[in-house]
Amino acid sequence: MTAGIEVRGLTKRHPGARLDRPALQNIDLEIPHRQFVSLIGPSGCGKSTLLRILAGLDRADTGQVSLLGRSPKQASRRKAIGLVSQTPALLPWLTVRQNVALPGKVNRRAGSEIDSPDELLRAVGLEESADQYPHELSGGMLQRVAVARALGLRPDVLLMDEPFSALDEFTREALQYQLLGLWQQRATTVVFVTHSVREAVVLSDRIVVMSARPGRIHEVLDVDLPRPRDRKVVKGPHMHDLEDRVRASLQSAWKAGAAPDDLVPL
Amino acid sequence: MREEAGIATRVTDEAADTGSTSPTPVPNANVPPAPEATPPVPARGVRRRSVLHPATWLPATVVLVVLGLVWSGVAEAHPYILPRLGEVGSALVGDPLLFLENAWATLSVALVGVGAGAGSAFVLALLMSEIPVVRRAVMPFAVVLNVTPVVAITPALVVAFGFGMAPKVIVTAIITFFPVLINVATGLRSVPLPVLHVFRTLNASRWEVLLRLRVPSSLPYTLAALRVVVPLSLVGAVVAEFVAAGSSGGLGTMIRNSASTARLDHVYAGVACLAAMGVLLLALVTLVEKRLLFWHDSRRPARG
Repeated sequence: MTAGIEVRGLTKRHPGARLDRPALQNIDLEIPHRQFVSLIGPSGCGKSTLLRILAGLDRADTGQVSLLGRSPKQASRRKAIGLVSQTPALLPWLTVRQNVALPGKVNRRAGSEIDSPDELLRAVGLEESADQYPHELSGGMLQRVAVARALGLRPDVLLMDEPFSALDEFTREALQYQLLGLWQQRATTVVFVTHSVREAVVLSDRIVVMSARPGRIHEVLDVDLPRPRDRKVVKGPHMHDLEDRVRASLQSAWKAGAAPDDLVPL
Repeated sequence: MREEAGIATRVTDEAADTGSTSPTPVPNANVPPAPEATPPVPARGVRRRSVLHPATWLPATVVLVVLGLVWSGVAEAHPYILPRLGEVGSALVGDPLLFLENAWATLSVALVGVGAGAGSAFVLALLMSEIPVVRRAVMPFAVVLNVTPVVAITPALVVAFGFGMAPKVIVTAIITFFPVLINVATGLRSVPLPVLHVFRTLNASRWEVLLRLRVPSSLPYTLAALRVVVPLSLVGAVVAEFVAAGSSGGLGTMIRNSASTARLDHVYAGVACLAAMGVLLLALVTLVEKRLLFWHDSRRPARG
């Protein structure tokens, strides 16, 4: 298997932070191409920082990052990174169709073709809303537009930072299945930051459990649920075992990290 | 007539408030989710009434009538302090061309001035947002220019540029420059971080970020500034005309000359013209704002 994402000896300390508490310390991670990997961990474990470094939005102090053999900067020059953040981050003055078409309009030197916006919108079930403006859509619909926009360039890696955390339970579940369907068709490498154990188990091939202060990889768990994952698979008893395992791992990750400064000891 | 002037001052005050204290619009990445099916349940007090409904026009009309009565009372008692409303009206109707010509002179100064002032402020704000050195170099002088009373500079400008259009345009431009500069500069920086991140992962150039993201994001701020500054341009024009009263006409010149010859009906007729122009300009900006900012939070009724 070729490595989709390779991280070697990565360390990152936020400016002004304590020397012995880097945001990320000695991160080694290898994600095979076309795998779906979730990052989970207590707040302050650096999962979002790691994602920003993978996206080329932040630079590591030491260590190497490669996305299909390229640095994040090179990858973004080729428009090979799709990013979906917690907020939909759409441009409110453009229609849904224009928003989805945006990645094709900027940085044309990359020369990559974008899928037809209407087709992308059909894939996320929003072809009806193509001519509407973001303020006319619900939160779940907006996040689907953001996913469509990120997938349009057929990115090598899709980076998602708690994309569904602001949505209600039902919408969130529906979007998880939709994302799985899209990923199954398009098969890119996905790194998915979440703080929901269930979400991580439902979606991922592997779950990277991180611990905080300093931010480290605590444990990597394989999720051996069959694909494609429908509601039947997710309801099975094995699902609960996996969830319990992730929870236990999170518990020990919590104990492994130093106590956060802002918590009063009980 | 007095009432119209009253409305105009109130409007400019309001506009000045929104502009000088804080830039009103705060673009928000979290667009509130629109309910899929909105039953028209109007909240108390935000209900939209027709303009024709008495509740809409009656309060202002009552105030208008009261003010008119007070005016007429004072005008009867002291005809050398206040002209009768009828006199003001007949001055307007008697020689409409005089007022139209002078109004046009003032309006053209105001519009050219605000065009030059707001336009250069916009360009400078763009430069400041892209090149930090420009910001540090220019900002102190812009602030000094802003706090210096423009009326005080005007005589010197008249000496330098004569009684033509130039000093008046310059005064108007100076008055309108700063609010636009500050608002646009703020607007260009008020880009939601997640959106900027998307542009950066696409490796968008600075030019693309500026054109496709920063300038549109700054529009609410730019238009808030224009709402203050476009009516304000009349103040600049009239002040300049007061100081440089002379050859080239304008309502300011006319008001000053009429006052010195005790033609109070002309004075108030001129004031009424200015008030009407101010209201018209404000309405124009509001119209443009409605067209351009249909997407912005400030354009939508607040939903709870």
